[in-house]
Amino acid sequence: MSDNAESLTETQKDEPSTPQQPTEDSGTADEKKKIDVLLKAVGDTPIMKTKKWSVEKGRTVQSLSQFISRFLKMEANEQLFIYVNQSFSPSPDQEVGVLFECFGSDGKLVLHYCKSQAWG
Amino acid sequence: MADDKDVLRDVWFGRIPTCFTLYQDEITEREAEPFYLLLPRMSYLTLVTDKVKKHFLKVMKAEDVEEMWFDFEGTSLKWHYPIGLLFDLHASNTALPWNITVHFKNFPERDLLHCPSNSVIEAHFMSSIKEADALKHKSQVINDMQKKDHKQLWMGLQNDKFDQFWAMNRKLMEYPTEEGGFRYIPFRIYLTMSDRPFIQKLFRPISPDGHTHTLGDLLKEVYPVAISNDDESKRYQVVIHGIEPLLETPLQWLSEHLSHPDNFLHISVIPAPSD
Repeated sequence: MSDNAESLTETQKDEPSTPQQPTEDSGTADEKKKIDVLLKAVGDTPIMKTKKWSVEKGRTVQSLSQFISRFLKMEANEQLFIYVNQSFSPSPDQEVGVLFECFGSDGKLVLHYCKSQAWG
Repeated sequence: MADDKDVLRDVWFGRIPTCFTLYQDEITEREAEPFYLLLPRMSYLTLVTDKVKKHFLKVMKAEDVEEMWFDFEGTSLKWHYPIGLLFDLHASNTALPWNITVHFKNFPERDLLHCPSNSVIEAHFMSSIKEADALKHKSQVINDMQKKDHKQLWMGLQNDKFDQFWAMNRKLMEYPTEEGGFRYIPFRIYLTMSDRPFIQKLFRPISPDGHTHTLGDLLKEVYPVAISNDDESKRYQVVIHGIEPLLETPLQWLSEHLSHPDNFLHISVIPAPSD
């Protein structure tokens, strides 16, 4: 499953580092581990060419959201909404590792993203 | 079960006497007096501090005022954490009133989320409730509610209306009798001495063989450090709403009675005070 999951960090070699990198300080093996994230577009939001990503557990939702916005070349004033289980929007400072533990299925965390509020 | 309903009221009406003092480097036109307020444990800082803002704006010029934020002894206070949690985590064993410093400049982008309006607080609050129900009922109960029911939960919190809030919230506290409890318990364990914001995992209130899980069982599973050995003196306190529940307390009961309005059990593990 993971062979076609690209690493989120590798594609950012030419981009400025994202503001929140909690894994920089911690050295524990647990936090260096990655989880698989599957990104799904909602409504008429552009679909990402690469949907499967390998993300560090300590990465925040905000950091992931910024990555998607940049990838989709969104305008600075455009908002992006992220949803788990097609039901709730996690807090921007929430770690993807925790979301994966609680809401992951089949070895991955499915996140829906949308330019407008999809599920309130 | 009259006593249990009393617990719900006690939790809802918990207050923390607080003294707000303006940060010394803020530019004022004259001396700023401190402002005293009883903060509701179950609410959020930005929802209940309009009076604080009004008070300090009286002595400041508009151009010197940006988004208000708070710190306690150098720690920026996250508005999206319930007030009671912030107190238990950072100021549990300090003298009352809780002394909070007010800022209008140099917003700490790395530590805090912005809060431009009450609708941001509402969105955060409702998302937490939805996340909790995803764990408790696979979102079935919250999804069966109408938009106006969701609004009632928020209005109850915003206007400090216990009956209005619980008329709806009681539905989120129900479960099929044959199950014995929720599917998973929504909880977060906050640690003062750690980099990670909190521990949150899947944990069932009843074991497969019908054994009722307690607070102690939860800690043993996800953070055994919190429970000291019999021969050692207690190193940590496990605090919920300012009290240390017995470790034998059933987790299901705690979830139904000591959760915050967002339906999460917010648990602080803090160093026990040394004598």
